[in-house]
Amino acid sequence: MNVRFSALLLWIAVALAALAACQSESTPTRFPHQLHLTRIACGAPGKPACLSCVSCHDVAKHDSGQRIPGAALCARCHHDDHQVRAVLAVAPVRPSGEIAIDHDKHLAMPEIRGQCVPCHAGVVDAKRPPLPPMSQCFGCHEHAEQWAQGQCTPCHEPEALRRTMPTTFLKHDTAFLRHHGSAMAERQQAQLCQSCHTQAQCQSCHDVTQDLTVEARRPEQIESGQVHRGDFMVRHAIEARSEPARCLTCHTVQTCDACHVARGVSANVANPANPHPPEWVGSNTSSSNFHGTVARRDIVSCAGCHEAGPATNCIRCHKVGAYGGNPHPRGWKSARGVDAEMCRYCHE
Amino acid sequence: MQRISGLLRAIAPPVPALLLCLLVARPSTADEPRQTSRKDQKPDAVDRFSVSGRSETYVQLYRRALVPGQNGQVVPTEIAVPVHEYLFANARDVDAPWQKDSIGLEFAAWGRYWPTESRIERAFDGDLQTASLRLEAGPTWARIGRQQVAGGAARYARFDGIMVGARELGFFLEGYGGFTVLPRWNDQPGYHHLGSAEDTLLVYQPAAPARGNYWLTGGRFGYQTSHVSGSLSFHDQEMSGGVDHRNLGLDVGAQPTREASLGASALLDLDSGRFADARFWLDATPHPLFDLGAEVLHAEPALLLSRQSVLSVFSTDGFDELGGTLTAKLLRWLRLDTNGYIESYRGTGPGARGELAARIALGRDYPTLLRVAYSRVIAPKNGYQALRISFSRKLSRCFSSTLEAYGYFYDQPIAGYTTSSVYAGTVSYQALDSLEFLWSASLAQSPYAASDAQTMLRASYHFDTPMRPRQR
Repeated sequence: MNVRFSALLLWIAVALAALAACQSESTPTRFPHQLHLTRIACGAPGKPACLSCVSCHDVAKHDSGQRIPGAALCARCHHDDHQVRAVLAVAPVRPSGEIAIDHDKHLAMPEIRGQCVPCHAGVVDAKRPPLPPMSQCFGCHEHAEQWAQGQCTPCHEPEALRRTMPTTFLKHDTAFLRHHGSAMAERQQAQLCQSCHTQAQCQSCHDVTQDLTVEARRPEQIESGQVHRGDFMVRHAIEARSEPARCLTCHTVQTCDACHVARGVSANVANPANPHPPEWVGSNTSSSNFHGTVARRDIVSCAGCHEAGPATNCIRCHKVGAYGGNPHPRGWKSARGVDAEMCRYCHE
Repeated sequence: MQRISGLLRAIAPPVPALLLCLLVARPSTADEPRQTSRKDQKPDAVDRFSVSGRSETYVQLYRRALVPGQNGQVVPTEIAVPVHEYLFANARDVDAPWQKDSIGLEFAAWGRYWPTESRIERAFDGDLQTASLRLEAGPTWARIGRQQVAGGAARYARFDGIMVGARELGFFLEGYGGFTVLPRWNDQPGYHHLGSAEDTLLVYQPAAPARGNYWLTGGRFGYQTSHVSGSLSFHDQEMSGGVDHRNLGLDVGAQPTREASLGASALLDLDSGRFADARFWLDATPHPLFDLGAEVLHAEPALLLSRQSVLSVFSTDGFDELGGTLTAKLLRWLRLDTNGYIESYRGTGPGARGELAARIALGRDYPTLLRVAYSRVIAPKNGYQALRISFSRKLSRCFSSTLEAYGYFYDQPIAGYTTSSVYAGTVSYQALDSLEFLWSASLAQSPYAASDAQTMLRASYHFDTPMRPRQR
């Protein structure tokens, strides 16, 4: 008991040490831009000059940063060094990284007229983002040439791109996930998508031959569109019947069968467990024999266990001359002749 | 002596963790404002290239019962402690003698060690996922090695070979060819096919596939501007015995306004002359608070099977799907996500699927996220209702955690049960900017398992050199 108690104490100490190492911080406050820009008495005799954005932010040509002023500039008015440093330590979070923008050129544009706020509305309105969304950039000039070339740089830094989730332009929402393959095909595959993504990222979901699924590797991604989260093992048959083609986006029928064989529920093992209901298949006229109707509708599910090349057990009844009848549905056709290898399984 | 030994056993595991904590602990004043480190960066004054790498190590622990027991059969169980290692590396925008920013490299591989006995897994296993070199010269480019082709007629395929492309005046042309990367599934010990075993005892054990019989080729031609884009693609994949897939693909998209985009795609199976799938979609943002999406899909699943599959000639039935998504950003901290789709299957009743979710996000620097989702699926023969509650919280600068609970309620019993539940949680510790540990655990109860407990430890290490100044 003492040993267990000592171990428990040690674990608690470890946890506390790790927490202490992190040094949890209080939520930092946003810099009071509006206060500085509009609520300081200025301009009158005896008062300081009125502040504008460029009073503090040195937005030099080709500057990629926001040019947060140094402590010396703040110290001209604020004499509390501790307070100044605390405010300056709260650098704004930039999930999209730095944007390379020629501020001088933009400020000289007649549409902008030297005003910072139209793009950076968040500095005076807490409900709006401090940085303009990409759709706002494209609202004025669409960078058509760069877009056509699939060039995200030099506006975006390459590394920042890989940490960025588009929120307006090319936003990767639920709908996008459903047709992202086509979105990729429309454009130059190697250009736009791969500005941010590597092929390994595609494979983390699509390569089903890797041993760990993406759901197992990323359990903390509770908002991602991973389709196999939760109790997928039990509901996978329902999902497969609901959208019979969807599984084949990533899987082949061999994927299904390998798992079914390992668990003894495939037709391709000795003495398999039969999942089918009574009268699923029968050779006498009194049998409902309804497996054909189901197979027509959801042949992919059948293939999940019964795909075995020339040993496929469907052939036993449905080959030419057998009692199962012609399995080809009305309207079926193929460009191949019956001498093709697969066709010869039945058309011997 | 025995007491000391017990004490050592008990305290030994935390000691490395304690040492690690002390090693990685950093004074709070170490973090300077970011602007000081970037102050003098001039994007046009340096050459950009990036090299990044990532290592992920996973250690899992669970007990499994592979073969379901029937009629009182004793279910054999086994303890599994697999260790996986995933490695990634890539370099971009490296200069070549003939052109700047024209060389890229990518590598991804995984390996596994299975220390316990298993009748399925080997002790050591692994695979190379990607190993490619990309070169650019003017408007042309080429990629050589193990790579993938995705979208369009190819859907998704991996191959060892070469892909070349060119672009000019908005037009682009791509072509590829090589040997297909074969699935590893048929290569498991003890895995063999027994077909109609009852009466013929026919045993079908395919020989190890000769890679020369598995190859693919294809190409894509398209046009792309900022408002419209489209491509026509062809993909021919061969396997032992003949054609695996031979498709023609059409993908088009347009963005007539900033608030709306639409697109369509179709995949034509050339062997049968029928469309394997075709879809049309429209995405719109009619108001800044609302995102809408609508989609129509027609699919014929048999055409997505290999052309060498006997079963692929048994059906021409298809299904149609119509549905959409709606996202409403009602408040700064509250978002509603809904989606709904109805399916029409030939020869049976309709199906449907939908989800309604509320997402609450609080806090900025230490965010808390709560998501509650209800979903409903109606499919032939069965369906289910599901309730999912997800919670995540950044506890401190280093610690984050997630908790999830799932409940499923099936319309028809599965193995005699109508419910299943899953509880999962994670705690992650960002030891360094480049080093993170994650511990996860889950507990489940389902029709297939009275209880299922799993746990995993993940260590992730990555390094990036996003931009290294060099003299031009």
